[in-house]
Amino acid sequence: MQPPDVKIRRKRLDRGIKARTDSVFVIAAPGDIIYVLAPRVLPVVALLILPFFLSEYHQEVLVHASVVGLLALSWDLLACCGLFSLGQSLFFGVGAYMAGMMDYYLHLSIWIGLPLATLSGGAICSILLAPVVRLKGVYFAMVTLMLPLLFRKIIEASGLLGGTLGLSTRGSFPNEWVAVYLGIIVFLGVLFGLRKLIDSDYGLVLKAIRDDDRAVMSAGINIYARKVQALFVAGSIASFAGAFLTYRYEFVGFSVFAWDYAILPLAAAALGGPGTFAGAALGSMILVPLSEALRAMGGLRIASYCLVLMVSIIALPEGIFSFLERKYHQFESLVEVK
Amino acid sequence: MSTIIYGIITSVILALYAVGFSLTYGISGLANFAHGALYILAGYISWNLMNYLGLPFLASAPLAVVACALVGFIIYWGLLLRVRGIPLSELVVTFAAGVAILELLTWRGFYGISYSLPVFVEGGVEIWGVAVDAQRLLVIAVGVALVVLLYLFVHYTKIGLAFRGMAQNERTALSVGIESDWIGALSLALGSALAGLAAVVVLPLGMMESSVGYEVLIYALAVAIVGGLESTPGMVVASFVIGFGQRITASYIGPKWMIIVPLAAIVLVLAVRPSGLFGKFKELEERV
Amino acid sequence: MRRRRSVYLALLVGATLLMFTGPLAAQAADPIVLGAPTSVYTPFGKSCLQATELAVEEINKAGGVQVGNVKRPLKLVKSDTRGGEPGTPLHDAIMAYTKLITEEKPDAIVVGAFRSEVLMKAMDTVAKYKLPHLHTIAQTPGFQKKFAEDPEKYKYLFRVTTDALIPGSYTQACLDILKKDFGLDRVLFIYQDTEWAKAFAGLVKMLSAKSGWKEIGFDAYAAGANDFSPALEKAKKENAQVIVIVWDVPLGAGVFAKQYQAQKVPAIVVGFVPPMAAPQAVKTLGPGVEYSIHVEFPVGASLPLKKLPKTLAFLDAFKKKFGDLPEAAAVTSSAYDAVYIWKEAVERAGSLDADKVVAELEKTDYKGVSGRLKFDKNHIAIFGNKDANETGLAVVFQWQNGPDGQLIRVPIYPETVAEGKIVLPPWMKK
Repeated sequence: MQPPDVKIRRKRLDRGIKARTDSVFVIAAPGDIIYVLAPRVLPVVALLILPFFLSEYHQEVLVHASVVGLLALSWDLLACCGLFSLGQSLFFGVGAYMAGMMDYYLHLSIWIGLPLATLSGGAICSILLAPVVRLKGVYFAMVTLMLPLLFRKIIEASGLLGGTLGLSTRGSFPNEWVAVYLGIIVFLGVLFGLRKLIDSDYGLVLKAIRDDDRAVMSAGINIYARKVQALFVAGSIASFAGAFLTYRYEFVGFSVFAWDYAILPLAAAALGGPGTFAGAALGSMILVPLSEALRAMGGLRIASYCLVLMVSIIALPEGIFSFLERKYHQFESLVEVK
Repeated sequence: MSTIIYGIITSVILALYAVGFSLTYGISGLANFAHGALYILAGYISWNLMNYLGLPFLASAPLAVVACALVGFIIYWGLLLRVRGIPLSELVVTFAAGVAILELLTWRGFYGISYSLPVFVEGGVEIWGVAVDAQRLLVIAVGVALVVLLYLFVHYTKIGLAFRGMAQNERTALSVGIESDWIGALSLALGSALAGLAAVVVLPLGMMESSVGYEVLIYALAVAIVGGLESTPGMVVASFVIGFGQRITASYIGPKWMIIVPLAAIVLVLAVRPSGLFGKFKELEERV
Repeated sequence: MRRRRSVYLALLVGATLLMFTGPLAAQAADPIVLGAPTSVYTPFGKSCLQATELAVEEINKAGGVQVGNVKRPLKLVKSDTRGGEPGTPLHDAIMAYTKLITEEKPDAIVVGAFRSEVLMKAMDTVAKYKLPHLHTIAQTPGFQKKFAEDPEKYKYLFRVTTDALIPGSYTQACLDILKKDFGLDRVLFIYQDTEWAKAFAGLVKMLSAKSGWKEIGFDAYAAGANDFSPALEKAKKENAQVIVIVWDVPLGAGVFAKQYQAQKVPAIVVGFVPPMAAPQAVKTLGPGVEYSIHVEFPVGASLPLKKLPKTLAFLDAFKKKFGDLPEAAAVTSSAYDAVYIWKEAVERAGSLDADKVVAELEKTDYKGVSGRLKFDKNHIAIFGNKDANETGLAVVFQWQNGPDGQLIRVPIYPETVAEGKIVLPPWMKK
């Protein structure tokens, strides 16, 4: 297409209030305070109040959204240090099976089993993947994609850990509310914790590994050790999600290694905008309810879900969160190029 | 003896699964996760052409292959163009497109026990006391012919050379007038056509339903990675390693362990020798 | 660029709107809702749902269900659990259950879970929401085990179809005939590595060893297998005379059927391979299915039996409504019977109250398509191998050359429904 005589381009300017709240250390005006706090506090309050107004089924949807949200956050952390994972289901499944074993074989109480499964899941994942952290891009992704499939097939073929029947566990949450709120609170905690982490010096190094690993190496930092540490954190987060669902359903079977748990978080991050954590969280809060709402479409459910996903990624490659963030902070106008 | 013969057949089938995927990746760096869906789409199209338009299989099969190429082309221009260069989005978009195709087929009723393509050639022969049906021999023939033709194509035709140019250095290729997007779209179309071709040759061996698509994708990934992406000889060797690995596992350990072979192969190869069996140093640097 | 983006956004909005138009379907006046969550896109799920639809249509034509002194029509609500597709997380299938129960508020559930794993978990969901649940697909023996743990809690669940062990004992009966009549005694087992198939094949293995069969192999294949040549080669090399196969995933079963023909294995196939047993088998797989022997459970699933008029009537009505016989040579008639069993229980109870209906369901004595059905203490329909007037029944049949030169399915066991005898293929007579 040939450009017309007048060239138009888009001009963006920070809003006054954004400039003010950025640079002025002490914020005094109530407007300013609201401007800074609203995007942080409102979602938290909304999530905490929401369960009171929801039916049991919709609470379940919300919990599932938090679980997928945790997976998406853990994915985003790995992406931050250049590890592109297609295997959140690996972390998820390992956590779920660890919780299952804690309960089924050791009869540990949930309050011991859940944290133990979380940490041991993270440890197992980081040990498993430590030999391949030197791989980049799509190659690391392939390993993480294949490992959960491999585990699944091994469990299926060997009959270990309950085989195709799975393990029916006994421990569960004392009541619904504990489960719902534990899910939501951990989700929010991880979200803000990770946002804090990535802004710290430690996070800065992680991001630098993604952007230019050789530069980081030449600064005398062992990037592989850092990557394994990131794997441990991300693995623990996802393992918690898996262990959480095991206790919630009192069951663990090889379907915890299903592709759904790898693709959903990834899609959530892609939809919300990777690299921001808030984007991944937002994405999962959109995608999971969407996929439930689409049950009304019957057989076209998954197909229409994929369609929505494709269209939104193509229309907004930067992600919904980055888009919203920009609109919140900036004016936009079309100006003529002279 | 039967282990060798059926091992060869299994290996050629694996190579057929993978050739399209590995070609597309080799040329334009696109991991086409819709590969499996395109494979089964070809089966669906040719089945419908036969059963609703009454075409013979020999006519419907090429049409299905062409249709696959078209779909691949459309996926590139309609979807991938806007997210080109963002690997995550590329991957999610192709995967979502693939799943969408598979689910649409399921919704149209493409499952169960009524879908089966006829074989090209009836009958069978005995080779050293092992009964082999003619269709399986045809699979071997097609597989061999395909590899040879592809080699000739990328080494001696203009488009083929342009493909290799793109694969080696995109910027230089651009500067000598090779249009990057066109080549990308063509490579995807060609890869999809190869998926379709594999489908019409291999599918008559069994039944088909949309869930086959996922399995084909995994095998394609396995072979392509173990062989070292973009290396054609590597791909051939990898399919033989995995094919015979499966066969030997079935005979000596137990058939239910067969499916584990390709998965374990990928993980091991990437952990021990990341550039694949036949990868070159240049690729190694990209991977590590 | 701008215009392009707005087009995409419009598409997005359109798609979102579209998904809200789904549930707005018009509702009939005060119908009773019957929920049917299952794996819709599998042959078994599809055929069962069709059978259920047929039953609901018949009941509505006759005026509906008599609850107390009002006649109320039935409304069937389907929901896809995707539970038959390998790789669906349990969680997703259970969400489909929960959504169906809490949003549509059905008064009973029929057809039900597909994979055993889903059924086991769904037992808890059903116990929580307390509504009658008559499942007709999943056959896992795990059901009885879990039921026996807490009968009071799980009392809402009933199995209207056979147990995996029933077709197992039928298969053994058929092996006995083969041994007695033709002196065959070498058998190879192939089974799908899932719980119910293992129970099925394991039972036949045990019984056949007792009756003097020589086992050549007992090979498990992963449910996603697509190559059976190792086992077939083994059968050939070691002169197996019978291959017993238990397989329910259509894909692998189809590959087996084609490979078995292609490799020209001189052994007779006995067992459960849906694509070879289906009425449409000759069309899909060609004439090579001749002589293969299959067990269909229960009777009336897809094979009309002259000696059981009810199966004729049911399959006739089915064919009239859907244009062809059921695709699945198992469990269809159970789904049909389940609706009627539930209807009669409601009418006897005079109320839709779950506990009252369950009390009546326990007293069920219903003569349906699949035989005379009563429930045992574990809420499992009782099946036998003698008389359809006493218990539920299954049937063994063989593909044989019919009078007009076409391949037909001839029932051969049990005697009460048999119409012919087993024929040995010419290539096996030595």
